[in-house]
Amino acid sequence: MALLEVVGLKKTYPTGETALRGIDLTVNGAEVIAVLGLSGSGKSTLLRCINRLVEPSEGLVVLDGVRVSELDRRGLQRARRHMGMIFQEYNLVDRLTVLENVLSGCLGVASTWRAVTRAFRKDDIERAMELCSRVGILDQIRKRADQLSGGQRQRVGIARALMQQPKILLVDEPTSSLDPKIGAEVMELMCAVADEHNVPILVSVHDLDVATGYSKRIVGLREGRIVFDAETREVDRSMLQSIYTDQDAA
Amino acid sequence: MSGIEAADASGINGAGLIGDANPLRPRNTILKRYCLIAGFASVVLVLTAHVFVFQTDWARTGGLGQMLKTAAWFLPNLGYFPSILLALFETFLIALFGTLIGMVIAIPVAVLAARNVTPAGLASYWAGRVTIVLSRSVHELIFALIFVSALGLGPLPGMLALAVRSVGFLAKTTAEAIENIDIGPVEAIEATGARRIAVLLFAVMPQVFPIFVGNVIFQFDINIRRAAILGMVGGGGIGLIFAEQIMSLAYDRAGTVVLGVVAMVLLGEYISIRIRSWLL
Repeated sequence: MALLEVVGLKKTYPTGETALRGIDLTVNGAEVIAVLGLSGSGKSTLLRCINRLVEPSEGLVVLDGVRVSELDRRGLQRARRHMGMIFQEYNLVDRLTVLENVLSGCLGVASTWRAVTRAFRKDDIERAMELCSRVGILDQIRKRADQLSGGQRQRVGIARALMQQPKILLVDEPTSSLDPKIGAEVMELMCAVADEHNVPILVSVHDLDVATGYSKRIVGLREGRIVFDAETREVDRSMLQSIYTDQDAA
Repeated sequence: MSGIEAADASGINGAGLIGDANPLRPRNTILKRYCLIAGFASVVLVLTAHVFVFQTDWARTGGLGQMLKTAAWFLPNLGYFPSILLALFETFLIALFGTLIGMVIAIPVAVLAARNVTPAGLASYWAGRVTIVLSRSVHELIFALIFVSALGLGPLPGMLALAVRSVGFLAKTTAEAIENIDIGPVEAIEATGARRIAVLLFAVMPQVFPIFVGNVIFQFDINIRRAAILGMVGGGGIGLIFAEQIMSLAYDRAGTVVLGVVAMVLLGEYISIRIRSWLL
């Protein structure tokens, strides 16, 4: 059985704008899958519909046998523990320390009492420190998140997502707010750490080089539809043209 | 007006550039404006005469000398000062605890009244908003009178009056701060599968905290002034002493009370500044 299965996913926003027009997608083992498309093609909406930060209008999302798209609020909270998310704008809590930000990754399993008192379990703290060490921010853990540079902040984002011990990582334009050099470092680090933890990555990108450089498989998205889904080495010119050529010419 | 006509006649239009269209505002617009100002001024004059001249007991006010003499009665009697210290301290505590109780009540009300985090949709949103409006639209003296009738005289009804009065301002500003937060961290914490309370504590609260603390301190500042008058209706503190001294014509002692209140307000201001720089 597939790890993640998306069937017939559609999304129309209340504004009337249709972002997804029927997406079918399967993720199996630990691999890096790039969702490639122009801005407005529905990449972010697709990722957000999988963990239901955006509520899908229609379709099915199944993660490891759990029908995520049909869960109630409590069930959804439980299912989200298994999906780590990394954001373009990092989405760290500025006034909390780096370590607290990383530890917030285990809020899904922490008791309410521990959340109120910010008293995390010792082994969680230990694991958070190990992750900080792995992503290279161990010397920053006492700093407030807003004191870090962009690259460092995204490293915190990676550590927070992995803190969840997720079954899959949903990654939304992780390097778009970074300069190319730092972006490449972050991308490399993210893929390496995910591989060590045996976690597949579904990552949305708009940059072709980033997509081909790190992924094993590319899913091409255009106007809310998948226009190709192929091994990265098999992706050819005509496929790419189907994403990039402007609408009138197509 | 005749001057303008003369200018017209003397041929400014003849310069050619202006032609028939006068680039200035038309004359009767300006005239209308003068009439409006004159009308407005006469209304103000009549109203002034009404409230200042006819409604004032001029025989009792006396001349300028008499007025100065009356004002001099209020010169503080410093010997009286030690005997009001306890009441001043009580007033200060009424303001402090009134603010703190109001702060505690305001937090859940703010969560209800913030559109983006309100737990039960429109029902809880309006519950929050109505609470805020009720609190803000009633004067603290009215609240004090209500609590005095319910609980008897003393500082307790005064504190509760200030608390209830403070909820509106604190909850309203906090709800607005919550509505304006960056939604990114909220999404991130929600995406970990955290419960609502954990999302509030980790993603909402850190963003709202500095604004909330600033407003609590501001409210405390205001409440010190409010606490000083609560005693007049039985709400404890310095206000009762002030009313007593005025009624027994002990104006020097009343002046002392005013001086004491000013000192207390300054002290409160100083404490606010210290807390602010320490916390924020």
